[in-house]
Amino acid sequence: MQYPEPIAKLIDSFMKLPGIGYKTATRLAFFTLDMEKDDVTEFAKALISAQRDLSFCSICGNITEDDPCDICQDPSRDQKAVLVVEDSKDVMSMEQMKEYHGLYHVLHGVLSPMDGKGPEDINIAALLTRLQKNEAIKEVIIATNATPEGEATAMYISRLVKPSGIKVTRLAHGLSVGSDIEYADQMTLYKAVEGRTEM
Amino acid sequence: MYLKTLELHNFRNYADLVVEFGSGINVLLGENAQGKTNLLESIYFLALTRSHRTNSDRDLISWKTKAARVSGSVQKEHTVTPLEINLSSKGKNAKVNHLEQSRLSQYVGQLNVILFAPEDLSIVKGSPAVRRKFIDMEFGQMSSKYLYNSAQYRSVLKQRNQYIKQLQFNPKGDQVYLDVLSDQLAAHGAEIIFQRIQFLKKLEKWSQEVHKEISQGKEKLSFQYVSPISSNQADTTEKIYAALQALFQKQREKELQQGKTLVGPHLDDVRFMVNDKNVSTFGSQGQQRTTALSVKLAEIDLMKEETGEYPVLLLDDVLSELDDSRQTHLLTAIQNKVQTFITTTSLSGVAQQLINEPHVFNIDHGVLMQSKEE
Repeated sequence: MQYPEPIAKLIDSFMKLPGIGYKTATRLAFFTLDMEKDDVTEFAKALISAQRDLSFCSICGNITEDDPCDICQDPSRDQKAVLVVEDSKDVMSMEQMKEYHGLYHVLHGVLSPMDGKGPEDINIAALLTRLQKNEAIKEVIIATNATPEGEATAMYISRLVKPSGIKVTRLAHGLSVGSDIEYADQMTLYKAVEGRTEM
Repeated sequence: MYLKTLELHNFRNYADLVVEFGSGINVLLGENAQGKTNLLESIYFLALTRSHRTNSDRDLISWKTKAARVSGSVQKEHTVTPLEINLSSKGKNAKVNHLEQSRLSQYVGQLNVILFAPEDLSIVKGSPAVRRKFIDMEFGQMSSKYLYNSAQYRSVLKQRNQYIKQLQFNPKGDQVYLDVLSDQLAAHGAEIIFQRIQFLKKLEKWSQEVHKEISQGKEKLSFQYVSPISSNQADTTEKIYAALQALFQKQREKELQQGKTLVGPHLDDVRFMVNDKNVSTFGSQGQQRTTALSVKLAEIDLMKEETGEYPVLLLDDVLSELDDSRQTHLLTAIQNKVQTFITTTSLSGVAQQLINEPHVFNIDHGVLMQSKEE
């Protein structure tokens, strides 16, 4: 026996989401049948609106409703520093910290030829034009992940930016705050010892 | 350390086995297909929770039974540690001192073993890739930094090769990114080469001693790290890094032509030399065997140096491959030092005379009998 077409289609749609297989998708689909009518309408609207109403900021590349985005438009932010991150989720993490008040630049990925991402495929060219145009920027903070690809991307950006005389910095590596040395893996410890600072 | 007792239940062709071993040389004597190697395998399994012969644990459980158990007690300097592994179709659990270990990685290391099987000859005879794999395995066990750098190196290498291929189709592509990848590769590569040379020196020192003894001082074994980087450039990581960078620059055009990275530790090799001649090309079968054996036996001393305890040595069908004098010297080299398990189909005259108080076990269809020698 087959499922009726509407639910089969719904299962199929859920399966397009990452991390959801056939069984989870079926469970979700049947759950949707029992949901309040209003909730379902809200859900459907939210799905459509997320794609329709969001675009990428023409300055920093972050997702936004208005172009340029709130952060780029905010004059109270420190115009001297730009923090470069891999994707928009990283901007949110940094913002939740509430201690960084500068600008952002979102790369939408890292350099990885294996995944078909070369220098032209991520948002680097826009960063360079931005630095050329905007003379207020004095520091580029590179906050790509501590993976080989993240490191390569950081090195690549620093090579392109440094000749212009703008300061390029990289986030620190090492122990995570509040963790026990006992539970840290050996490479993290090694990096932490290597990157120790004078007191 | 040595393995004092071993108990098998439904393991391979052993239905139930309880046996006590001697701390010296234990000879497992039997005809073909009686279960000699199965017994060695069970000891290897007790040490490392996996088999050297198969990746499927199901193969280890006797036919028509559902679960197997391997247990034993390990005598260390002052303590006796009981070990136990239970194996069923659902998986396995390991116990140290009757306490279940939540992770197998916590269990491994209680009993250290070194296995020498006829296949190990390929360290000498085989392709450079076999030797690289061997040194990566050995040195990775001793240094987590080495393990980290080789993992990073592999991943950067893949990216770099892919990018070079892309540049072939698009010659005007970004060269700065290639520079970045080259520098990254050189940085990890330099750490790897530096550590390889350091570890090889240690291994060479111990191998030479063993080799000298087996060959009665007639032959001298030495190692040579084969790399486009000359040895006078290799005394610090900074120098190796600079040398690798220069090589990448020099090879760039050729690399773009061939579409891959042409220098680096992933292409280096180790040459085993006996009396300054390359054993893998000019050595006799016996010399090759002796070299492989010396390298393996050197691991015993290296492990003692690193962990403070001698491991247990498992020799699978090695005696039959060596001539009488090499047998004699092998046995003297290990006598009174490490607990050794030797499988063989017959105990030749020389070996029998030489081994002091050997424990000889006759194996017949999965049943063990300790034979009382006069």
